[in-house]
Amino acid sequence: MRAPAIRGLGVLSGDLIKCGGPEMAPALPQSAGPAAALILALARPERPGDRFRRATRECLLALAAVDAMLEDGKASREAIAGERTALLYVTAAAYGASNRAFIERRGGVMHFAYTAPAVVPAEVAIEFGVVGPYGIWIGGAPATLRAIEQAARLLDAGTCDRALVLAVEIFEECADLYARHRRFYRWPLVETAACLWLERGAGELSFESTRGNQGAAGAAGAGERFAAGPLADLRDWRARATAGPVELSGRWRGEQARLHWSPEISHARGSAA
Amino acid sequence: MATPERVVIAAAGVVTPIGQDLEAFWSSLVTGASGISQIERVPVADLRVQRGGEVKKLGRIKDWRGVPDCRASRLLIAAADDLCAQTGFRPLPLDPARVGVVVGTALGGVEEGEKALAGDRGRRRLPQALYDGPGWSLARWLGARGPVITVSTACASGATAMAVGADLLRAGQADAVVAGGYDALCRFVLRGFDALRSLTRDEVRPFDRRRSGLLLGEAGALALLVRERDARGARLGTLLGYGSASDGFHIAAPEPEGRGLERAIRAALADARVSAADIDLVSAHGTATPLNDRIETAALKRALGRRAHEVPINSIKGSLGHTMGAAAALEAFMCLLSAQRGLIPPTLHLEEPDPECDLDYVPGQARPGRPRVMLSTSMGFGGCNGALVLEAA
Repeated sequence: MRAPAIRGLGVLSGDLIKCGGPEMAPALPQSAGPAAALILALARPERPGDRFRRATRECLLALAAVDAMLEDGKASREAIAGERTALLYVTAAAYGASNRAFIERRGGVMHFAYTAPAVVPAEVAIEFGVVGPYGIWIGGAPATLRAIEQAARLLDAGTCDRALVLAVEIFEECADLYARHRRFYRWPLVETAACLWLERGAGELSFESTRGNQGAAGAAGAGERFAAGPLADLRDWRARATAGPVELSGRWRGEQARLHWSPEISHARGSAA
Repeated sequence: MATPERVVIAAAGVVTPIGQDLEAFWSSLVTGASGISQIERVPVADLRVQRGGEVKKLGRIKDWRGVPDCRASRLLIAAADDLCAQTGFRPLPLDPARVGVVVGTALGGVEEGEKALAGDRGRRRLPQALYDGPGWSLARWLGARGPVITVSTACASGATAMAVGADLLRAGQADAVVAGGYDALCRFVLRGFDALRSLTRDEVRPFDRRRSGLLLGEAGALALLVRERDARGARLGTLLGYGSASDGFHIAAPEPEGRGLERAIRAALADARVSAADIDLVSAHGTATPLNDRIETAALKRALGRRAHEVPINSIKGSLGHTMGAAAALEAFMCLLSAQRGLIPPTLHLEEPDPECDLDYVPGQARPGRPRVMLSTSMGFGGCNGALVLEAA
């Protein structure tokens, strides 16, 4: 399959390394308790406007990731607006915080709407006027690799002119639940919000996945980011300024997936770390 | 541009409040049976509306050993059991590594999260509470070792899942895909819709002047998808095309002119390489909320033009409630069964037409008709719009 070109990448990450957008310090909430020590958390971004009064942290982080992506691509928000932009959202667990708040009767009547995973890309669609094709995958890193492959397919077929692959993972609000299942995950859990802007390119892209035994959620390396892992890895690859192909990989519930990709970077990089 | 490879819906299996196999589901639809009842499985005494489309007893499977104690997983697996019965095989006679699973859901295993937060420290609660838990349970039950994907485009999830399943086949990543949707009625969703005042105390009356809201239902609905060149024996029909579009308007309310749905329909027609004039039947999302049905009518008129006034359009949500992640798949199966059986199910409880919903919404009784090409529309939270185009076998 023809590989898409990278037009911009924004990554906000609890491990302090950033790419695009304003500096965001990680924040360990005072109230989080001992389990949160195993989580590298992101602070709730502030965003002016009454519309964001009820918005959840995962929604605001998604918007901040898109801001960072635009800054990285040196582009205005108008550049991604319209029905020719596809929006593909991936998460394994970001909805957990909102679901918990609703179950525990926090957040008021309207909060129920925010429990749907679909609301995170919806906030992006509303804020940036992205009204083209969309998809929402639930899962870890392999789901994100599939979303990149799907973006390549949509671009190749002419279904869209640009595709955004958005991934958000937050953990802090459910720190105690993750701690109960400590052996399933590679600690620390690293909160990450990332958005990748793809356009038609000329390289090659191939995807493969195999199933093995159930095991730890992620690929090698420190910390676990679930679905946001491949986009953080892509950030690291760009930061090393490596020429040539990149291999992104990840594991989730026993599925091991790999994306082999020779991406063009179609715009001078912004503030990549 | 090359024509995409055609994907066949070889068989389907369901568990619904109006029948726990495809035949019972169809019989109930055409006879106008209702699956709405007092909800019994979870406490609802504190809720304004206490009815819904509840599956009272999952009777298909007698032995649940090895299956998590998770309602959502069990609905999916009960639907898969019907699917296997329709095909005559379990496991499917294919290399397990080439069998994929793609399911759509609005809620995943959220009820397991409720239990975990209530103090249940079961080892499987958290993995099942993640929204992709039930999809993996289904894959284990089926013995499928190919790709396992969960999509969650709210109440359009079933349509998205079938489209993603077709993409897997076209990309050569699987030779057969079990695709569809599910969702279970639980405290979480009942309390949520109750709080939003979206639920009616009346009947669910799609496109009726007196419509006052929806009722929720639970179901599992799965199709066996294969490439046309690999299809053997009987089939239900063909998945011709899919389209999606975001509203970009509001997190919970649909865009008032239905522009997102219109874009999704146009994209689906283009993907299917058919025109509006080819459409013979529309399965509407038809939730019976005052806003949805008016918006959907307007979108259908713009997307289909004159054809919107010529074709039957029905909604089956009056019969079984809004089954969320399962809805689009069930509605697709209804379309294909209509073509196969030569009968179009009615829109139950549509008695007084709304002047703002002035298309042919099949009131009263099932009517004869043998559609060839069918359109199924879906809308969901977050401004998710999806449309499927299907062709009769």
